[in-house]
Amino acid sequence: MTTFLVSVGVGLSTAAILALSAVAFTLEYAISRIANFAHGEFLTIGAYAAYSGQAIFHQNVAAAALIAAVAGMLAALALNAGVIEQFRGRSAITVLIATLGVALIVQNVLIMVYGAANVSYSFAQGGLHHIGPFLLTTSNIEVIFSALAVAGLIYVLLQYTRFGKAVRAVSQDRALAQVSGVPARRVVMGTWALAGAISGFAGFVLADTIGTFGPQLGFSFLLLTITAAVAGGIGRPYATLGGALIVGLVIQIAGTYTSSAYQLVYAFLLLVVLMLFRPNGVFVRRSSTAVRA
Amino acid sequence: MYWVSVITEAGIFAILALGLDVIWGWAGDFDLMFYGYLALGSYMTFVLTIGKPTPPVEYIIGWHLPVLVSMLLAIAVVVGFAAIVGAIALRNLREIYFAVTTLGAVSALYLIVENYTSLFDGYNGVYGLINPGQTALNLTYNGYRILLLVVVLLLLFLAYLLVQRLSRSPFGRMLRSVREDERAAAAYGRKVFFSKYRAYLFGAAFAGLAGGLFAIFISAFNPSAWAPQELLVIYAAILVGGRGNPRGVILGVFVIYIGLIELTRFLPSPAARPDFAPALRQVLIGLMIILMLRFRPQGFFRERPGVDPGPRPAGRRPWRLRVPAAAASSDTAAASPGAAVASPATTLASPEAAPAAPARNPGRDGQAADDGGTG
Amino acid sequence: MSAALLEIENLTKSFGGVHAVRECTFSVPEGEVVGLIGPNGAGKSTVVDLVSGFGRPDFGSIRLAGDQLIGKRPDVISRLGLIRTFQTPREWRNLTVMDNLMLARRRFDSESLWRSTAHARRIRREEESDRVAVRGILDRFGLAELKNELAVRLSGGQKRLLEFARIAAAEPRLIILDEPMGGVNPVLGARIGDAVRHFAEEGRTVIVVEHNLPFIERTCDQVVVMDLGEVIAQGPFSGLRGNPRVIEAYLGMDLGHG
Repeated sequence: MTTFLVSVGVGLSTAAILALSAVAFTLEYAISRIANFAHGEFLTIGAYAAYSGQAIFHQNVAAAALIAAVAGMLAALALNAGVIEQFRGRSAITVLIATLGVALIVQNVLIMVYGAANVSYSFAQGGLHHIGPFLLTTSNIEVIFSALAVAGLIYVLLQYTRFGKAVRAVSQDRALAQVSGVPARRVVMGTWALAGAISGFAGFVLADTIGTFGPQLGFSFLLLTITAAVAGGIGRPYATLGGALIVGLVIQIAGTYTSSAYQLVYAFLLLVVLMLFRPNGVFVRRSSTAVRA
Repeated sequence: MYWVSVITEAGIFAILALGLDVIWGWAGDFDLMFYGYLALGSYMTFVLTIGKPTPPVEYIIGWHLPVLVSMLLAIAVVVGFAAIVGAIALRNLREIYFAVTTLGAVSALYLIVENYTSLFDGYNGVYGLINPGQTALNLTYNGYRILLLVVVLLLLFLAYLLVQRLSRSPFGRMLRSVREDERAAAAYGRKVFFSKYRAYLFGAAFAGLAGGLFAIFISAFNPSAWAPQELLVIYAAILVGGRGNPRGVILGVFVIYIGLIELTRFLPSPAARPDFAPALRQVLIGLMIILMLRFRPQGFFRERPGVDPGPRPAGRRPWRLRVPAAAASSDTAAASPGAAVASPATTLASPEAAPAAPARNPGRDGQAADDGGTG
Repeated sequence: MSAALLEIENLTKSFGGVHAVRECTFSVPEGEVVGLIGPNGAGKSTVVDLVSGFGRPDFGSIRLAGDQLIGKRPDVISRLGLIRTFQTPREWRNLTVMDNLMLARRRFDSESLWRSTAHARRIRREEESDRVAVRGILDRFGLAELKNELAVRLSGGQKRLLEFARIAAAEPRLIILDEPMGGVNPVLGARIGDAVRHFAEEGRTVIVVEHNLPFIERTCDQVVVMDLGEVIAQGPFSGLRGNPRVIEAYLGMDLGHG
C-alpha cells in the first residue's frame, strides 16, 4: 500500500510537469492546427538556459525558472515566425515533418554548444515531507504548486481576458476572427509565446526533478506529452490537465510495479489504446479518421 | 577502401529508402517505425548467425545458421512484426495520428531492446559478425568487403527493377489513388486498408533485407545506431530525391550520404569535442528537410505520372456531347471540335505538353504534389 | 415499367437523437433516371451515404438487384456495380486524367502485388484495350487534350466532366450523383444533363440528388421527394406541382421555373 501511495505522490509531481507541457502543446495545436514535434525542444532549451544562467544566479531558483521561461518563449516565437507561419496552408503532416527537422537541428546545436554528455543543476532538493500518506520532497511540492499556479493563470487568461477570447476565436476560425477585427497574427504570436514560456519553465522543472539531463531531454518527453494531450482531447486546454493526470498516474504506478525504465512503453500502450478508441480524448465521443474500407 | 565502405553503406540505405518510399511516397503513410524494422532485421541476422552468447553477454536464440538463411529468416520476422504494427496502426489512423503512433512504436521498441537485456544485450548490443563466410570463400578482408559491395549493388539493382516495375503497374497506380483520396478509391471498389497494409509489409521486407546487409556491413549493432538522429537521414534523402520516384529516391540517398559526408569531412571539430562534426552534419540534414519541404516538396525528381503517348482514335467519332463552340471556353479549353482533331502529332511528340487550359492553375503546381494529404 | 434495381425499405438513421432518415421507402426501376429532391436537411445525402456504404443505418433494408447492401463496406458495394459521386468532385489529384480513368476500369485482379510483377506483359495488353476505350471516353467529354495532365490542374468545370468520364469508364449498373450541378454554369449543366440521359440510354440506372429543379425536370423520368427524413412523394415531376405536401415542404419555392 505504501508503495502505491508513494508512487502516486511522485506520479503527481510527474503529472504536474506533464500537465504543463501538455497544455502548452495543446495551445500550439489549437492556435495553429499542427502537431509540433519540436515542442520538446522548448523544454530542452529552457532547461539549458537555466543551466547556463546558473553561472550567474547560483542558487536563485526563481531566477533560473524565469530564464527558462523566457528562453522557451523566445524559442517558440522563433519557431512560429521561422517555420510555422512559413508553412501555413500546408498539410499538417508536412508541418509535422518540418518540426521534426527543427527538433533535429536544435538537439544537435545543443550538442555542438554544450556537448552530448549529461549536465545537471546544483540546486538543493530540500527535505522530505509527509503530506498525508504521500512522501514528497520540497522540490516535488514546489513543482506541484507551481504547476497548479500556472494552470490557474492560464485558466484566468483564457477565460476572462480579451486575449483569451481572441485566442479562442482564432483557434476556432482564423479567417473569421480576422474579419471580425481580431489581430490574428498577434494573437497567434502571443499564444506561441505563452506556450513557449510554459514549456521552458516545464523543462527547467523537469530537469531539476530528473537530476541530470542531456540534449534529448525534451524529445524523450514528447511522446508522454502527446499522450497526455490526446488523452485530454487535443485542442482543449482544460481537459488536457485531466489527461496529464491520467497519464502521469498510469505510468508511475505501472512503472513502480515493473521497472521504471519501461514507463514510456506503458505510455505508448496507453497512446495506442487512446488512438484506436478515443482519438478525440477520453472525455469526448470518438470519431474515426479513415475510410472504412 | 574508404570509398568501398561509403558506397556499400549508401547502397544499403538506398534499398532501405526504396522500401520506405513505397509506404510513404506511394501510399502516403508517414511511418516513423520504419527504421525499427532495419534494427530488428539487423539484430535477428546476428542472433541467428553468431551462435550462443558467452556470458556476460546475453541475447535470444543464438543459432549458427549460414548467414544467407539467417537473413531470410530475419526478413520473415520483420514482416511478421510489421504485420502486427500495421494491423493496429493502419486500420483507422492517418496523417498525424499515424505518425504519432508509429513514433510511439519505435520508441517503445527501442526502450524494450535497450532495457530488456536478455533480448539483444541492451545497451551493449550485439557484435562479432565479422565478414561471415570470408574463410569459406577464401578471401582476404578487403576482398570480402569488395564482394559485399558488389552484392549490395546487385541487390539494389534488382530491388530497383522490381520497384520500378511495380511503380508503373496497376498496383502502383491503385496505391497512389488510395493515397490521393481514400473515399473516392473506396467508391471505385478499392480496399483501402488492405492495399496500405500490403504496401506496408512490402516496404518492411526491404527494411529487413537492408537490416541483414547492414549487420554484415557493420559487424555490430546497438541502440546508439538507431538514435533519433539516424532515423531522419533516410527521410531527408527521400525528400531530396523525390517521393514516389524510385530513381530519385536512390539518387537522393547517394547524394545525401556521399555528398553530405564528404562535405562535412573537412569541417573542423574542436579538439576536446569529437561530437561536434557529426552534430553539425545532423543540423545540415535538419535544414535540408525544412528547406526541401518549404521550397520543393516533391523533391528533385517528381513522381512520374502515368503518361499516355498513344494515338488518338482516328476516323469514326462516336456519340459526342453537344458543344456550343462559343461558350466552350468558359469552362473548358478542349471543347471545340476543331481543337479535338488538331494535334495527334503534338500528343505523340511531347506527352507532357498541353495547350492553353492546363496552364490555368500554374500557381498550384508547387503545392500540387504535396498537399491533399501526401505530406 | 422495368423491374426495380434498387429497393430501399424503412431505412432509418439518426445522429445523436436526431432522425436524419426515417422509415424511408422507395424503389428505383432499372434503366431510369430518378431524381431525389427535397429541402435542406431532408436526408437525401444521408440516404446516398447509407446506400453506398459510407455509413450504417439503424434499421431498414437496401437491396441492389436482390443483394442486401447493409453491412457491406463501400468498396464491396462498388464492386457490385454501384458508382457514386460526392458533393465536391473527388478526382485523384496528383494522378493524370488518363490514370483517373484507367483506375475506373476495374481491373482489380491485376492490382495484386504478384500479378503486377509477374504478369506485367499480359497486363500491358489488357491495359492497351482499356486505353483505347478510355481515349474514346475522353473524346466524348472533350477532355482528350488533357489526358496527360495532372487532375489537380483542371478547372472546376473540367473536374466535373472528369467525374462523368470516370463514371463512364467504370460502366456501372447503378450511378448515384450527389448534387452534380453544384456551382456549375448553365452550359456545363447542359452537357451534364446530356451525359445523364446518355447513361440511361445505355441501360444504366441513375439516381440524381439535386437542388436544381429545372435540371431534375429535364433529366429525370421520375422523382422521389423527401422532407425531414421521410419520403413524401414519388412520381413524374409534372405531378409534383400540384402536390400539397411537396409545396409545403418547399415553402412556396417556385417549382415551375428556377
